[in-house]
Amino acid sequence: MPRITFISADGTQLDVEATEGQTLMAAAVAHGIEEIAAECGGACACGTCHCYIEASQLALLPPADEAETAMIECVIDPRPESRLSCQVKLTAAQDGLVVHLPASQH
Amino acid sequence: MPHLTAPAEASEEGFNFAPLDPAFAADPYAAYARLRARDGLTYFADFDIHLASRFEDVSAIVMDKTMVRSLDGLVPPEEIVAQQRAANWHDMPHHSRFVQFSLLDSDGEVHDRLRKAVFRLFTPAMVARLRDDIQAYVTRLLDRLLDQRDIDFVEDLAAEVPGHIIGRLIGVPDEDCPKLRIWSENIVQFFDIDRSDARKQIAETATTEFYEYLSALKADRLKALRADLISELIKAEAAGQFSEDEFISTCMLILMAGHGSTIDVLGSGMHCLLKFPDQAARLKADPALLPTAVQEMFRYESPLPFFHRYATEDVTIAGTPYPRGTKFGLLYGAANRDPSAFEAADRFDVGRKPNRHLAFGGGAHFCLGNHLARLDMEIIFGSLLARTRAIELADPAVTYKRGLSVRGPKRLDLRLVPA
Repeated sequence: MPRITFISADGTQLDVEATEGQTLMAAAVAHGIEEIAAECGGACACGTCHCYIEASQLALLPPADEAETAMIECVIDPRPESRLSCQVKLTAAQDGLVVHLPASQH
Repeated sequence: MPHLTAPAEASEEGFNFAPLDPAFAADPYAAYARLRARDGLTYFADFDIHLASRFEDVSAIVMDKTMVRSLDGLVPPEEIVAQQRAANWHDMPHHSRFVQFSLLDSDGEVHDRLRKAVFRLFTPAMVARLRDDIQAYVTRLLDRLLDQRDIDFVEDLAAEVPGHIIGRLIGVPDEDCPKLRIWSENIVQFFDIDRSDARKQIAETATTEFYEYLSALKADRLKALRADLISELIKAEAAGQFSEDEFISTCMLILMAGHGSTIDVLGSGMHCLLKFPDQAARLKADPALLPTAVQEMFRYESPLPFFHRYATEDVTIAGTPYPRGTKFGLLYGAANRDPSAFEAADRFDVGRKPNRHLAFGGGAHFCLGNHLARLDMEIIFGSLLARTRAIELADPAVTYKRGLSVRGPKRLDLRLVPA
């Protein structure tokens, strides 16, 4: 059960228990995190589940593939630690992951 | 938007579903509620389609990566030809090249390649650059309409904005926008289920004229590229990412998609504000609610309530196994009123949160233009509410378009009382 900490743009923090095999997006949506709009539902087709991984923890995740990288170029305010949460599948290796949420996806 | 077939009228023992009936146009939601209450999906033999109406089932199909839009590769080519003939969708040389083939009706690698080439122009950041342009256009339009006072909201306001803005985004001169709307409407009318030869001729002629227009515009733009979609596609074609036919087809699809459905949801959204005056007052008092209000308009009156998918693999939906090749009907309008997914689903709530509805579809085909449509709507409703003291419905008998594939009022006669 990887434990994930989501931090909103206003600093609000929420710790959630995710499920192994679940995507980071699904974990966020299941816990009512509105900043993860995830409008296409996880097809890497809309760019509205954008988040920032705590910079020191980037190595805990497999790198983004070509489709995700191309989509990240289209989001608002992309940074080196940007990921699309629908493309991040959670395992025990990501226990303790800290995820920063953008103020808006639009 | 394109879809090949829809059930005209079908029945099973003990159940009638007649989406072409005027009663359905007046209130499809009662029929949708009956569909949702049935076990599993509802099959209509005459059209060989399984209708999904519950949020959970529609969502499962639309998010399933093995579900596709096109029959290509799924059935033998001769069967596709036979189906096209049966739908009077044959012997249309230009329509076949530029309308029947499209980003919307392709899947897999072809779809991803075409979508990738245009996606960037429809991102929130790119669309936001149009804000001042749209605001200026709507302000000028309202200056005139507030003097006029008695207006048909659909024709005088809704129909004037989205096509004009999409024309600018594509790179079409303003003065040509009225022509584009006529071509779009003449092509779109043949997506519905009345497939007479007369309608077919109108669609083929419009496609031909539209093709010739876009070819000339492209030749002109080749002399000097600009910051518009035509120029982006010219670059993509030069880089080998697009064929010439794909270029024309994609321009046509975007122009058509930018017209009808936004006009429809503007009309029904306005009608919602009139039917729920407490919600209109709340929005007027707090314009920060515009984004959630627009999101709710799409949920409450989904403008494209019906799409289809084919299964490319055996699949289980709602507990029932279906074989490869099964055709599913996705009733977004029904799913978006499902009380198991939305609290008080039949209540129009401009502040509804969360509101994760399916009006823009989902999966790989998720609506490309959703941010542009939202921006058009936020500016129109924000401006209209700010500049009026009252908006009255001049004719309370509002007639909605007939059909399963579209949802929107034919006209909406209003009296505007300026602030």
